[in-house]
Amino acid sequence: MIVEFYRPGNSALHRLDPRPKMLFLIVVLIAFFLPSAPWVLLVFTASIVAVIAFFLGPAQLLPPLKTLWPILILISLLTAPFHRAGLPVLRVVDITLVTTEGLNMTLVLLLRFLGITFGFFAVVRTVALDDMVLSLRWFGLPYAACLVMTITLRTIPSLAATWHNVVDAHRLRSGLDGRRRRRRIVETYGPVLTSVLIEAVKGIPALAMALESRGFGRRNARTSYAELKKGRALVGDMLVLAAASAALLWPVFFRW
Amino acid sequence: MNDQKPSVSPAFRIASIAILAAVTTVLTRVVQIPLPARGYINLGDVAIVFSALTLGPFSAALAGGLGTALADILSGPYAFWAPISLIVHGLQGLLIGLIVQVRPRNILLQCLGGIVGMIIMAGGYLLAGVFLEGAGPALTEVPGNIIQGGAGVVLGILVAAAVIRAYPPVRQWKW
Repeated sequence: MIVEFYRPGNSALHRLDPRPKMLFLIVVLIAFFLPSAPWVLLVFTASIVAVIAFFLGPAQLLPPLKTLWPILILISLLTAPFHRAGLPVLRVVDITLVTTEGLNMTLVLLLRFLGITFGFFAVVRTVALDDMVLSLRWFGLPYAACLVMTITLRTIPSLAATWHNVVDAHRLRSGLDGRRRRRRIVETYGPVLTSVLIEAVKGIPALAMALESRGFGRRNARTSYAELKKGRALVGDMLVLAAASAALLWPVFFRW
Repeated sequence: MNDQKPSVSPAFRIASIAILAAVTTVLTRVVQIPLPARGYINLGDVAIVFSALTLGPFSAALAGGLGTALADILSGPYAFWAPISLIVHGLQGLLIGLIVQVRPRNILLQCLGGIVGMIIMAGGYLLAGVFLEGAGPALTEVPGNIIQGGAGVVLGILVAAAVIRAYPPVRQWKW
């Protein structure tokens, strides 16, 4: 299993510190949820898309679009019927299908959805999960919570491998083909799930013992093998993203 | 390690949350069961119901919330759903666990807890969907969420019973 959506690289987006990038996500959310005209949201979304295309390459825009196109079509088709105020824009016989308010809301929701999706995409694509955990620690998340996240990330690949091994073992023993499996979800997945879950819960006491023997719970200082940027480098990145945040928010403050 | 009082150990709590969160992520992200009509459901809810029935409300809340949030982050395009999943599935696990805790072996309470959790999950995603996608698209996702939640309750209860029978020490690990 590929455990991260992150792709290593050396682009300017990759080199930016993860902490200001995570703060920038909050700015993106604020910008897209404050009441703004559709054209303002269009400028926001286009800016984020342009940044991804320029720094990561235009091909990087395809994976989110491939995943999200059904939702985008649903938003396009189903928003207008819920917003009936305003002047008619599209009429069939005597029935008004789309009004100005419906069209406006459709555009707002489409652009908000795309903008937030691409904003988060840019961050998870360029920040390694370990750096994300370190950043959360820097923001004040307790050590125990960060430790849980780190252990979880380390456990996922081995558990995924266990799942595939158990599925293969059950398939060899029962000889079920794909069509029968679809018809018998409980019968097929019940034994597989049971085996995987027993294997997983058996690991809990062993992991607890390992943590205790490695000193978990003691109050002495801890060492860290990974570090985030410090000093001028961090301030520089903070300033870059503060400028980007100001650029994103100024139309909102001027009530456009 | 002493199996009699594992709940007093903070290391045991960390280990149980981390392992169950990993289970939740794997079942959400790796396992996709094709539906007879169209589309897929995942088994993330099975992991949450299982956690609530075997290791209690707090493990289920923390592991369920963290596991599904990580699954969203790992999926990439759905990363912005991570905070919503953290809250919705966390609340789902907590409520199932708290309801079942009243009488842990009562199958009716287990079903009731599962149904309440399913309603919380479908309702939470509906509420978030209304803000993010609008009411129309959000409503279309409700049936899928209910099917997924229902499958999670049925499989979760069955699997929890099977695991407890096959590996009895897990009965003493609730906290």
